[in-house]
Amino acid sequence: MKNSWKVAKWEIKRNLKSKSFLISLFLTPILIAIFATVPSLLSDWSDDEDTQQPQTTVYINDELGVWNELEPLTDEDGLNWDVELTEETEDEMTSTLEDESRSVFIHLNETSLQNGMIDYYASENVPQDFTYEIQMLEQPLRYMLLQETGLDESEIQTAMTPIVFNQNDVINEAEAEAEAAQGAEQFLSKFVPGIFAGIVLFSIVITGMMVFQSASEEKKEKVAEIILSSVSAEELMQGKIIGYFVLGILQVTVWIGMAAPVILWLVDFPIIEYLFVPELALLLLIAVLGYLMFAAIFVGLGATLEDASSGSNFQGFIFILPWLPFIFIAPIISNPEGVFAQALSYIPFTSPGIMILRLSILDEWPWIEIIISLAILIVSIWLLMKLAGKIFKVGILIYGKNATLPEIWKWLWS
Amino acid sequence: MEEVLRVEGLGKSFKKTRVVKDINFKVHKGEIMAVLGPNGAGKSTTIRSIMGIMMPDEGTVVFDNQVEGKVPKQKIGYLPEERGLYKNVKVMDILLYFAELKDYPLDQAKERALTYLKKFGLEGKDDVKVDELSKGMGQKVQFIGSIIHEPELLILDEPFSGLDPVSQETFKQEIKDLANNGTAILLSSHQMNLVEEMCDRLFMIHRGKKVIYGSMDEVKEQYANFKCTIHGNNDLGDLERIDQVERVEQNDDISILYLKSDVKASEWIKKLPDHLDIQELSLDRISLHEIFIDIATDRNLAQEAGVIDEK
Repeated sequence: MKNSWKVAKWEIKRNLKSKSFLISLFLTPILIAIFATVPSLLSDWSDDEDTQQPQTTVYINDELGVWNELEPLTDEDGLNWDVELTEETEDEMTSTLEDESRSVFIHLNETSLQNGMIDYYASENVPQDFTYEIQMLEQPLRYMLLQETGLDESEIQTAMTPIVFNQNDVINEAEAEAEAAQGAEQFLSKFVPGIFAGIVLFSIVITGMMVFQSASEEKKEKVAEIILSSVSAEELMQGKIIGYFVLGILQVTVWIGMAAPVILWLVDFPIIEYLFVPELALLLLIAVLGYLMFAAIFVGLGATLEDASSGSNFQGFIFILPWLPFIFIAPIISNPEGVFAQALSYIPFTSPGIMILRLSILDEWPWIEIIISLAILIVSIWLLMKLAGKIFKVGILIYGKNATLPEIWKWLWS
Repeated sequence: MEEVLRVEGLGKSFKKTRVVKDINFKVHKGEIMAVLGPNGAGKSTTIRSIMGIMMPDEGTVVFDNQVEGKVPKQKIGYLPEERGLYKNVKVMDILLYFAELKDYPLDQAKERALTYLKKFGLEGKDDVKVDELSKGMGQKVQFIGSIIHEPELLILDEPFSGLDPVSQETFKQEIKDLANNGTAILLSSHQMNLVEEMCDRLFMIHRGKKVIYGSMDEVKEQYANFKCTIHGNNDLGDLERIDQVERVEQNDDISILYLKSDVKASEWIKKLPDHLDIQELSLDRISLHEIFIDIATDRNLAQEAGVIDEK
């Protein structure tokens, strides 16, 4: 164990002195902040642009002679129309519209009014909203139609008033308020630690992937054998896993340290209070177990590959494993208690991510599932560590080539 | 002499191939012992088994007459055949890491590192990153790394490979100095000339088995017979009939006559038949290099001469 610590210390020191690690350490939160804010800034900016959008040219052939009465309405509703009255027919106008953009032709005549169906013709690039805008004309036209039938004003009003069904919920108001507040609090008290544990898992899995690089480098630079003359292969492997765990924790501390002031400033609920709840301990335990599992996989994989880019499909597939839960986020959120969610909680490769996600959104924790899932995870870690140890021991000393799957298989049983 | 390392009946197989078999030798304090053999003979496997990096299938390795199987890693310095350094770190950092792994006091290690860097012409390079060093400089740093903790036993697997002649000389001198100061040295190499100059004893291995084992003097006495090289068109039978000729190798116009060990060179030359076609003639001793080539190419020089047993 003493030797593992020496190796761990070295890996930590080496990375802290390496520019690339330090750059990624401080640059990642800045990049995340940029990616989080820039799109919304851009969309705000393009919204501003939208307000100055060009008008829609609306040609109206007003056979009914109603436009004078309708015009004030279009102004009131702020329709962005540029109305031009025309005498032309549909046929003539279609050829005009073919050459124009953002133009509409409306033909108001007696027949269409009586039929209750007014055709309008739209050129290219007419905004979708026009469909809703034109509905503004419905009420005044109906009014005119009813007027023609000779009804008096009050009859017309009656005829035009729609009948609406309105639902009124009967509940104890005080209780509802309390429930809403409690719901929000319960949601936050789960969600905040969940997000936190998720970030921890994410960060240490990224450093877990650095374990791969480190093992691969050991092989590539041929330092392994020199190190193995002082420590055992198991100690070297453990040292790397411990070292990158510490680096991962350090990384997440820096990230959160950089993000915390911003978040506390932006958000007005007591995040710290929601964060340090007993549930956090379990979520962090899951995150740490997740790290140990992926670190075992990556350290073993690193010992088989000198060059990550030249690995086989199988080895490439292993890199995807930690990111699998992301694919399932949507189905899990929509049904966190479903069979699918349960099944993924029992698969060791997905269980850390999925469990953290589920426990963050479930009101009642399914303790039996949690225990089964943890048991599967712990057994898998134990097994994977054993296998990684065997692969590492042989693989790290094979120079100049990447190991093939059948070779790795043989090492496991040697 | 005090025994530092004893290897007994060492054997190792990979899958069904037997890589080394029944290897026995000892290394004593202050001596340089060479393990020689062609590529793939089993040298590195033997050394890795001694270091505990590989587990031998059979046999025992005993250090300092202590309990077998327990490798006192702190007391051993090891320079593997396949060696390198982490690229993105400073020379001093990596040397101190090697020292720390051996539990050697760091202040002492730093002092030693500076001394050796200076000795090897790398003064001021302690603060330089490894990837800025030339290949030769890197090899010197590796060498320093293997002796930074003052090992009692130094195991060097092909220490001269890839070195230029000047560095070879530096390393050779340093290895000799270490041995004179009491370090037991086990080195493997196929640079026969260097081995011949510096080793006290040698163990030659071929196809995983012992071929020669003994002190350099014994080996020379036994193997370093005279050989006569004649350029000229001669009949093989004629040459073989010459007195005190053990065997003849003929290749086109060049014939090599291997002479018996008790030959007196001046007398033998006088006995050469008059009718021989001699364009060129040279008479010299068989070198370790030739013994090595013979073994590596499966000729039977060594077997014919017999094997020296350990005394």
